Amino acid sequence: MRITCPVCGSRDSREFQYRGDAVALRRPAPDAGVDAWDDYLHLRDNVAGRVRDLWLHGDGCGGWIVVERDTVTHEVFGATLAMEIER
Amino acid sequence: MRFSGLRVIREGLTGNKGWRPHWRDPAPKAEYDIVIIGGGGHGLATAHYLAKVHGLRNVAVLEKGYIGGGNVGRNTTIVRANYNMPGNSEFYSHSLKLWEGMEEDLNYNVMHSQRGVINLFHSDGQRDYAARRANTMINQGDDAVLLDRAGVRKMAPYLDFDNVRFPIYGGLYHPRGGTARHDAVAWGFARGADSRGVDIIQNCEVTGIDIENGAVRGVQTSRGAIRASKVGIVVAGRSGQVAAMAGMRLPIESHILQAFVTEGLKPCIDQVITFGMGHFYISQSDKGGLVFGGDLDFYASYAARGNLPMAEHVMEAGMTLMPMIGKAKVLRSWGGIMDMTPDGSPIIDKTPVDGLFIDCGWCYGGFKAVPGSGHCFAHLIATGNPHPVAEKFRLDRFRTGVGLMDEEGTGAQHNLH
Amino acid sequence: MLELKPKSACDGLLPLSVGAFSLTEEPVGRITALAPLRGRAADLSDTLSRAHGMALPSVGRATGKAGARAIWFGLHHSLLMGPDPDPALAAVASVTDQTDAWAVVRLDGPGAETVLARLCPVDLRAAVFKRGHTARTQIMHMPGSVTRLSERAFQIMVFRSMAGTLVHDLKSAMEAVSARG
Repeated sequence: MRITCPVCGSRDSREFQYRGDAVALRRPAPDAGVDAWDDYLHLRDNVAGRVRDLWLHGDGCGGWIVVERDTVTHEVFGATLAMEIER
Repeated sequence: MRFSGLRVIREGLTGNKGWRPHWRDPAPKAEYDIVIIGGGGHGLATAHYLAKVHGLRNVAVLEKGYIGGGNVGRNTTIVRANYNMPGNSEFYSHSLKLWEGMEEDLNYNVMHSQRGVINLFHSDGQRDYAARRANTMINQGDDAVLLDRAGVRKMAPYLDFDNVRFPIYGGLYHPRGGTARHDAVAWGFARGADSRGVDIIQNCEVTGIDIENGAVRGVQTSRGAIRASKVGIVVAGRSGQVAAMAGMRLPIESHILQAFVTEGLKPCIDQVITFGMGHFYISQSDKGGLVFGGDLDFYASYAARGNLPMAEHVMEAGMTLMPMIGKAKVLRSWGGIMDMTPDGSPIIDKTPVDGLFIDCGWCYGGFKAVPGSGHCFAHLIATGNPHPVAEKFRLDRFRTGVGLMDEEGTGAQHNLH
Repeated sequence: MLELKPKSACDGLLPLSVGAFSLTEEPVGRITALAPLRGRAADLSDTLSRAHGMALPSVGRATGKAGARAIWFGLHHSLLMGPDPDPALAAVASVTDQTDAWAVVRLDGPGAETVLARLCPVDLRAAVFKRGHTARTQIMHMPGSVTRLSERAFQIMVFRSMAGTLVHDLKSAMEAVSARG
């Protein structure tokens, strides 16, 4: 699997560390309540197909990126720097 | 049709014409008392115990593909009860006891081989943990022996004991641990369930779950609608998709775990051996292949195949631990879809939908749990109450934070196990 | 009075040569990390040009020359190698001394990229990775930096604590490539 880093271009997946569903970019407010925090921390759509998930290009440029890929085929469609995503 | 030594001899002498299919191939009925979604090891075991223990025979097991075509046919076949935490410890102990009676119970040879499991340790700290874990196992009523270097060397002289970075200090030996023939476990439970009247329906994909007024009414399938007042979901890596049919989201991410097997070799590895300083474990199948694996690839995947970085990591760890395997040729590799929970422990529970039950989250340890999971899930479905040894496998433990079972101590969050 | 003697990262490990390849410790001098303050990358580039005679490198590039070089070192992050950093840089960037944090070696020899091909998961052939190109990538399993210095030479950096492993891995790769003749 190769991942297209928006900074470095196409790189071997071994340079990246996976950090799960890009839900991590939507942290609830501290007082949002148990349901919101349970949802954020634990519950997942766990899609078989096209997903957006968060990777760290730790052995590359160090950028946090949101990768669009297919969990069934391992096809990678593209990636965006997490810092450039509106939140 | 019962199996016995005499029967094998008689069939052998008469051209093997008396064997019959091990289970029927029935068309789905319009209604059952209980529908089990998923014809893997856990689902078939659930059906077997529903029929055998609880006398509930109007049961269907619905399988999208063919039975045993998922993780029960794609694992490394290890059976053990060496867990450390309350909740897990008693469950796996229970499961191992079921393994020990399984062949008699099923009248089926699952080639359960209690050849022992050795968890190596490589530091004083690891030894302390192994001693503690051994005590937990003994307190649970299971068996554990703390081996020193000489003890390990006696059993596995080919290991690299004096590796500069990872010298072997000893091992936690679990004599009742071992392996089994994975496919036979699925087949044996299928036969056991079928012989008591359970319908095992293959090529039958569930496409919807019918819910009215908060209670389950049945399922929609690729072979028509089936009514049932109780439905059990036990679909491992596909838990997320099936739960979504009932409007639920689960604390599960599906990940890929790879395993590898070499060409057949003469017997050389007598036990199951796990490396303590890299993710690597190995055993030798009865055919002679060295069966080994490591950790998750660590990204969500349904591909049932992994990538090379983890393959390389596993091979390197293997070469570090037992350099002799460098001579063996790897024949095949495969991947299973692991239903990973945040704390690495499973779920056997009711859902918010009345009559809908779920058994999932076995992470990378589902094979050894097959009889225990089936037994406890059947108990829950039949009685409405959790089985005492599985009562900690609550669905809401992440929400409440109460009763988390984080065996590795890495934290109860996704992507840490 | 006690006198502390500085030791370089590869002291006692280098130089070495295998076949047509040589591996030496690169005496780069002072290493300074430069991370532009938000929105000040252009100002940093101007300041760097005025003070040290080189622009801030763009992604995957190095500027300057031996003795006073700047290399791209990650997202919004470059290294100044050689001169003491001009105090004016601190007005537009986070400036951090990294001098003793990195092991810096030079791999030299015809087709040196064939050695690195055994260790790095990126294409370092001259057609795509030209002089003045740089990459953050893995060297074996270590995070590091690779910069092409010439047709036949690369600068390779890993964390200082990994110097021994770096030399071992490079030496093994040099031997393996040389053995092919």
